[in-house]
Amino acid sequence: MREALGADPPGLLERLRAGEPRAFEELVTAYQHRVFGVALRMLGSRAEAEEIAQEVFLRAYRALADFRGDARLGTWLYGIASRLCLNRLASPDRRVARGDAALADVPAATPDAAAAAERAELDAALRAAIAGLPEDRRLVLVLRDVEGLSYEEIAEALALDPGTVRSRLHRARLQLKEKLERFA
Amino acid sequence: MTCTETRDLFSALADDALTPAERAALDAHLAGCADCRRELAGLLRTVKLVRAIDPARAPAGFVDRVRAAARPEPAPKRLARRLRAPWQTLPLGAAALFLIAGLAVLLFRGSHEQQQAARYQPTTPGPAAQAPTAAPRETGSSATTATRESTPAAPPARSRKLETAKNRVEQPAPAEPRAETTAKGGSPPRDTAPAAPEGRRAKVDSSERAQAPAGERFSSTAEDARADATTDAAKEGKLRQEPPAFQSPPPFGASRVAPSVAAKSQTMPQVAPLSRTGPMTGVPAAAPDVSAHLRVPDVTLAELSLIELAARVGGRQTGRRIDGGRVVVELAVPRDAYAQFVREATALGSLSIERQATERPVLAVTVTVSN
Repeated sequence: MREALGADPPGLLERLRAGEPRAFEELVTAYQHRVFGVALRMLGSRAEAEEIAQEVFLRAYRALADFRGDARLGTWLYGIASRLCLNRLASPDRRVARGDAALADVPAATPDAAAAAERAELDAALRAAIAGLPEDRRLVLVLRDVEGLSYEEIAEALALDPGTVRSRLHRARLQLKEKLERFA
Repeated sequence: MTCTETRDLFSALADDALTPAERAALDAHLAGCADCRRELAGLLRTVKLVRAIDPARAPAGFVDRVRAAARPEPAPKRLARRLRAPWQTLPLGAAALFLIAGLAVLLFRGSHEQQQAARYQPTTPGPAAQAPTAAPRETGSSATTATRESTPAAPPARSRKLETAKNRVEQPAPAEPRAETTAKGGSPPRDTAPAAPEGRRAKVDSSERAQAPAGERFSSTAEDARADATTDAAKEGKLRQEPPAFQSPPPFGASRVAPSVAAKSQTMPQVAPLSRTGPMTGVPAAAPDVSAHLRVPDVTLAELSLIELAARVGGRQTGRRIDGGRVVVELAVPRDAYAQFVREATALGSLSIERQATERPVLAVTVTVSN
């Protein structure tokens, strides 16, 4: 799981609003992995994830003037990324199988061959299980357990009630648990 | 608390998000329910598995790509870019075009002397120059002349008129370097100025064609001329896209004198239309970005080679004229390909560059070719 989101880099929002070119670069540098990460876990393809991640930052760039600053930059970006991913997943002409290879780059860190094979099998099962979740649940699960957001941050990013976040997350985990029963 | 109620709290327990009261009730139930303890263990293992997934990292170069895509542009350039996308402002553009083109056609047709003066016949006029087909072409050129006069800063890249909006979409390169300049050092006014005229012309380009039939309603006297001019321009644009044929370099004579006819006959598509600027037409030529002199043994061959070279590097011929008895080839060369252009042009003969400014994305290059 990724480290906690934390506070915005100090002064970044002000410099972004002032149109400082370096500030935008800092924003992308600071949040590129997070934005790319959620896109990759939701869409499965690195190419598609990069495309969406770029779009997230371009939209943020254009919308900076309207950004009220009542959310943190990080949750705001996660929110844009989430919306774009859900839109992409809902688009009828999307050719990539949904969630396919969602965890394609999970490394098999175990040196032992047998353990590596087992780990690989588990990874494949985990990947399939996550990919098989309904999108709204998968999104909450990815934001919480992969991207490390708190309930409040997820609620803020997705404009959801914290109770909804909690119940979606719970259902997602239960569903995963059932699918991964044999590895337990 | 029931088993179901208890299990609904498991997920929150994994996140340490239970209230003290919830936690107490949960613990109380678990203490006496082995099934729920097993369920909880399973769920916690699942959560642990998911959390073991390494966070993804954006690919290398991602920041640069985003930055390139989001280069800040000052308002005038945004406006210019909008204007260069004529489909966004087509109705306005069409209206403006009507006024310009209609006026130009009427004015030009009103003066036969003017037509004759604009016709380019330095020595012996070929018979084709007097052919009726030449007239619509000249009419078309006058429309352009009017447009050009309204944009004095425009480069002499004449054939831009013939570009369609589609071509512009396919060649986005010019917009990029412009933006780059901005990102580096604010907005130099020199950089901004040519953009607007270009945009204005783009509007004229597309709407000119789109509105050709409507022109019949607008000006009955001009209808034939306009229709012909449009067809002519379309043909010409088509011809330009064909690679220059080198097998049989045509003679220098008659076809040069009446290039519009020659071009239409398709026997030598590589010969460009006449320059509509310069002393022969009375329209002052805008200063080129690059002027060079190429000394070669065979002027005709060198001229054709230059045109072919320009096309090969993504540019095109925009005109030709005779200046002091010497052939001057006018070319548009993408700045990115300019180095290659110079390198290969040097191989054609003795090239000396007299003036060179490479700020703009597409450079107006004039090459004087002589022995």
